[in-house]
Amino acid sequence: MNVLILSIFWGIVMMFSGIALKKKGIATGLAIAGVLILLLGNLGDMSTVVITTSTFNDMLAFRGYNVLFISIVLVATLMYFLVSGREIENVGTGGFDYYALIFFVLTGIVIASSFNNLLMLFLGIEIISIPLYILTGSDKKNLKSNEASLKYFLMGSFSTGIMLLGIAFIYGDSGSLAIVPAPSPFGFSFTSLPTLSAVGALLLMFSLAFKVSAAPFHFWTPDVYDGAPTVFTSFMATIVKAGTFIAFFRMFAGGFASVQGSWGLAMQVIIFLTLLIGNLTAVFQQSAKRMMSYSSIAQAGFMLLAIYAHNDMAKEGFLVYTAAYVLATIGVFALLSRVADPGFQGFNGLAKKEPLLAATTTICLLSLAGIPLTGGFLGKYYMLVATAKAGGPFWLVIFAVICAAISIYYYFRLIIAMYFKEGNPEMAPVSRGLKFWLVVLCVLILALGIFPYEVLLNNLLSL
Amino acid sequence: MLALLLILIPVATGLATFFLKQGNAAKLFSLLSSLATLGISIGAAICTDKSAKSFQAPFLTNLGSSFSLSLDGMGTILVLLTGISLVLVFISTYKNTYKDPSRYYALMLLSQAGLMGVFLATDGLLFYFFWELALIPVYFLCSGWGGERRIAVTFKFFIYTFIGSLLMLVGLIYLYVLNPGQSFSLTSLYAMKLSPDQQSVLFWLFFVAFAIKMPIWPLHTWQPDTYEQSPTSVTMILSGVMVKMGLLGVIRWVLPIFPYAVHEYGHVVIGLSVVGMIYASLVAMKQDDLKRMIAYSSIAHIGLMCAAVFSVSELGLQGVLVQLFNHGVNIIGLWIVVDAIEQKLGTRKMSELGGLAITAPSLAILLVIMSLANVALPLTNAFIGEFLMFNGLYQFSAWYMAVAGLSIILGAVYTLRMVQKVIYGDTNSLTKTMTDLSLNQKLILAGITVLIILYGVNPQPLFKMTMDTVHTVAQHI
Amino acid sequence: MDVLLLQAVKSVATADVNSSINYLPIVLQLLVAIGIVVLMMTGTHLLGPKRKTEDKLKNFESGIDAVGNARQPMAIKYFLVAILFVLFDVEVIFFYPYAVNFRALGWEGFLAVLGFVGFFLVGFIYIIKKGALSWED
Repeated sequence: MNVLILSIFWGIVMMFSGIALKKKGIATGLAIAGVLILLLGNLGDMSTVVITTSTFNDMLAFRGYNVLFISIVLVATLMYFLVSGREIENVGTGGFDYYALIFFVLTGIVIASSFNNLLMLFLGIEIISIPLYILTGSDKKNLKSNEASLKYFLMGSFSTGIMLLGIAFIYGDSGSLAIVPAPSPFGFSFTSLPTLSAVGALLLMFSLAFKVSAAPFHFWTPDVYDGAPTVFTSFMATIVKAGTFIAFFRMFAGGFASVQGSWGLAMQVIIFLTLLIGNLTAVFQQSAKRMMSYSSIAQAGFMLLAIYAHNDMAKEGFLVYTAAYVLATIGVFALLSRVADPGFQGFNGLAKKEPLLAATTTICLLSLAGIPLTGGFLGKYYMLVATAKAGGPFWLVIFAVICAAISIYYYFRLIIAMYFKEGNPEMAPVSRGLKFWLVVLCVLILALGIFPYEVLLNNLLSL
Repeated sequence: MLALLLILIPVATGLATFFLKQGNAAKLFSLLSSLATLGISIGAAICTDKSAKSFQAPFLTNLGSSFSLSLDGMGTILVLLTGISLVLVFISTYKNTYKDPSRYYALMLLSQAGLMGVFLATDGLLFYFFWELALIPVYFLCSGWGGERRIAVTFKFFIYTFIGSLLMLVGLIYLYVLNPGQSFSLTSLYAMKLSPDQQSVLFWLFFVAFAIKMPIWPLHTWQPDTYEQSPTSVTMILSGVMVKMGLLGVIRWVLPIFPYAVHEYGHVVIGLSVVGMIYASLVAMKQDDLKRMIAYSSIAHIGLMCAAVFSVSELGLQGVLVQLFNHGVNIIGLWIVVDAIEQKLGTRKMSELGGLAITAPSLAILLVIMSLANVALPLTNAFIGEFLMFNGLYQFSAWYMAVAGLSIILGAVYTLRMVQKVIYGDTNSLTKTMTDLSLNQKLILAGITVLIILYGVNPQPLFKMTMDTVHTVAQHI
Repeated sequence: MDVLLLQAVKSVATADVNSSINYLPIVLQLLVAIGIVVLMMTGTHLLGPKRKTEDKLKNFESGIDAVGNARQPMAIKYFLVAILFVLFDVEVIFFYPYAVNFRALGWEGFLAVLGFVGFFLVGFIYIIKKGALSWED
């Protein structure tokens, strides 16, 4: 609750400070202060120190799991600001407006992670999406950025339409907008929905799959990620993705969990395609930025396993996976946005020039690839155990594992370029502060991989 | 506590070495560290106090795992091998200079830590952790300091092993899910009663990972390339110690847990191993590159060990356990000689060598000793192991043993051919410039010779050390 | 008969709200809509005379010959004002439900609407300060 109100408030503060304060450099400082305030508010949510106890007629729920998830998002945002603040200020006309938009996206994420009502789901997803259309096109002089923005907007509104249609079907069938489907008087069995609701649920699944860029609804992702300014790609691929994923998770692993008969098979197909297409296409990319966008599709495939399994293991694992994925991707993008040539050859010999930066990026990449001792491994491990425990199909687990092995190929291409190839990469200067925060990021990733309970999950048990 | 120290020392010193600015300091520091580790592993081998040899700490408790280490017979012998080999490697290459030395030595120590962990872990998840962690430093070592084609070759090696280990991870996960105690601990896994169907699937998941590591034909294709392209010091670790990870995996994590599947598929595995032995021996005969020849001969030796493991006889197993140690020591000896030749002459091609007996007599003598040990001549340490393994294989099936026996003859052929081409004949313009071994290499090789003859004449201590592993496996199979 | 008159079938409706027969009117309406479109298109296509002249086949763009690049900078002030008008206009609609119920909603409702107007104003001030409404540069 606190975070919801504070994030709107701070968004407005950022908007107006852009007008009141002409100086450019303080935008990042102000935004960091804002996230810290949000984090305080989040702490308040955890210990019931709240501004208001209203739940908007039970349309939103602020309970343990969501609150913990929001704190992951906030910490990730904080790291994102610390690592990429300079870049955000350099895009377009000035940082304040973009920071304001980012705070509004956070508002959307808070709603999307705590909705109890289909309308709130819609509202949350829209509040996340609309600022993103603007952020994608924020590099106004760049045609690719414009194209990406328009493409994203058109496809995004189309998928929103599909979501509304799905909600309409569910409402038409059950007469209720609550996310747990009310048993309708006829034709309801405990494992599947009546036809109309099932169609609605599938439409909802498709539109959410679009938002999290799961195959076969992923076609916008590479173009948009490639066209958008790299800092905002970093934001979209990490925090926003996590925010839309929690909506997906809450809807299907929460609301529709008991009626998996209606959507389980479709989900299997989506997971299979996402893993396959994401990994195989990433292998053939020549640009690290495009590789990262396909990698984000591939990682989405693993996260979907949590929704498919939706048991306790999946719930814990979803948090670990999200945290590890988001942090590691922010770390990789921090380097990407500073290198002049986003192709793999642009990284040749980087380890000689910037050994520390190469080391942190390597740790992030190892985490994404799922090497033990990193959070990324534990996330993948959780997903596999959850699927196995839920009695998920054996072939899917094996397939996921093989895809994880394929992913080694493209993540290590970057490592190979940095460490084992000769070259002199052209890149923006790297400040001491950035290096420090990247080290902190890596420590967080490693801590998550070694002490997941101490760092994160014990909070879940105590909430 | 000893068990923990075995991992902790290389990890701590390895991490510290990263920050050493001076190359020579890193060299000396890592040598001291490896000596300390060797000291502790000898202490662990002598020590009879059970509690000192195991260690337990909470680690990912909610996931059913724990940080539990323990030294059994097989563990002890492999820990000893790991301890010795790093010392051998460091001393014999003491005069070599590597670019970026602090990183090189740090990675060497970290890979040692990973290996120790694999040999000590008695918890499934922890075993997997160390299994992967041993791989990463070696990957960086090979790619960073290897030959011309190193990047592609090492990458192939990495992807191969990684696919294998991920399949093993799936196997572990299903074991965990099926385990009523929801735990990864070795004792609880040993106590599980799995149905034949479950055993069959899980057996293959595990075995593929270990087979890639050993490697067993037809999953061996990464091995000759990697051995050839890696810096020789890393090849020593790879062939001397790392391949033993696969054998340890089979003996500790496959035989006692999937006894049914072992009986069911033993024929298949032994068949593959025997085919691999003959194939590798034939290919080894055709090689001109010394490193590739030794690499193929290593495939043949490992194939025999794997076949003996799956023959499931106590004698065969006993032979394998002894051979784990002896094969490691012998092959490192061979590599040291090859490294000396390569460092001095800049070539490994047998066709370009010859007459080294004239210009470098002590190198020639030591090469002959190492080669004879490699073909398992009686009175060398390898003989007793191979004899027992063939015995075990014979008990399983005389036919397999007969075919596998061919590899002894072939082994003698290619090894002696190598010896003949390298050290006999006339010197040519290149080998005229050869100088003899340096003092540190002589010392190390003399030490290895002592080990070869000592354990060739008196293998009893090794048997005694590994007795308990044989009993444990025999109980469950 | 009810069905064909686009009325719900009462006897069925009371028995089973989920029965798909209730949606038959919608289907009929859809069919009629599509039918009319198809009818009109094919009708005009078949009936109309076809005279293809150069002028008729040329690209048509506001009666001006299409030349040059479409990506020209142009003033968007008018569009900006128009879109802002639409935004604020739509928001005013939310006052109607409150105006109808304001006594019933009491103070709590009043505060909610005050908050709504507050946000509204903040947005308004923001666009003025940003200079979105200033016509002259």
